[in-house]
Amino acid sequence: MPERTNKERPIVNRLREEYFDLLPEIRRVVWQLETEIRYLTLPILHSLKRHEQLVVKSRIKECESAVNTLRDQQEGRTFDPDKPGGYSLLDLPDLAGVRILVFPNNKLVEVDNALHNRFLGWTSKPVKDDKEAVLAPKYYGYCEDVSSKVRGEYQIVPMLIGLFWDVEHSAMYKSRGAANSVEMKKYRADVYSALARFEEGIENFERIYTELFS
Amino acid sequence: MKKDILKEAEYWYNFDRDIFYNRKAKKAFSLEYVDDKPEEELVRRIGESTDSARWTFYFNSPPSESVKQILEQVLG
Repeated sequence: MPERTNKERPIVNRLREEYFDLLPEIRRVVWQLETEIRYLTLPILHSLKRHEQLVVKSRIKECESAVNTLRDQQEGRTFDPDKPGGYSLLDLPDLAGVRILVFPNNKLVEVDNALHNRFLGWTSKPVKDDKEAVLAPKYYGYCEDVSSKVRGEYQIVPMLIGLFWDVEHSAMYKSRGAANSVEMKKYRADVYSALARFEEGIENFERIYTELFS
Repeated sequence: MKKDILKEAEYWYNFDRDIFYNRKAKKAFSLEYVDDKPEEELVRRIGESTDSARWTFYFNSPPSESVKQILEQVLG
């Protein structure tokens, strides 16, 4: 738990109050988004080969995580009591989030295309690596049927990278400084590269195996 | 490397606020500032003389008086 001063506490308390006011709406958005994505990706799920996977996971951002994310966006990670208009959790695009994990990577484009038309007006903000290469398409916007306030977000992630992020996020979330250090950037790049090589290996093996026995 | 420059000048890292600070010099650099500015500027800022009675904050967007007070309280 970050150390908070007396001046920041009222801001944090207001944000917590806002969070619990919004929670029913966040729940509705995540249910809607998950249900639509499951429906739209069902044909892909049913056509998967034995070694392929497609997993849809949803999550509601927790209260403290939401407050801390907003705080992380301030330089010096400090809420300014004098900020005109104050702060709102509605500035966060990912209070309601869905992650679609795919294996192997070639399923990623297929899923992205399957969802494209439904979420046509959504803002694209892909996750990129340190060299600006796209790792995972990501979109956010409104599910207008259920909320005009809370945005939803979905991302389509290569499964191996997504599972790596689960561990990495828990280990690194306390410090952006350490996460962004030259050393950690190099280790992260090494992991991405190793996972990509593994996927290529699987795809090559699958292709050769299919050609041999078809 | 910027990290080495700060380490050499006895700056510590505050993980909670993402700032580099030196209590003796009463100077603090935000992570964003360190990331964005060239090494030469960092060296110049570390070396420049300031009002030693109060903390000097090097941020990309200058912090408000309230934010300065909060950080002064945190940094001691």
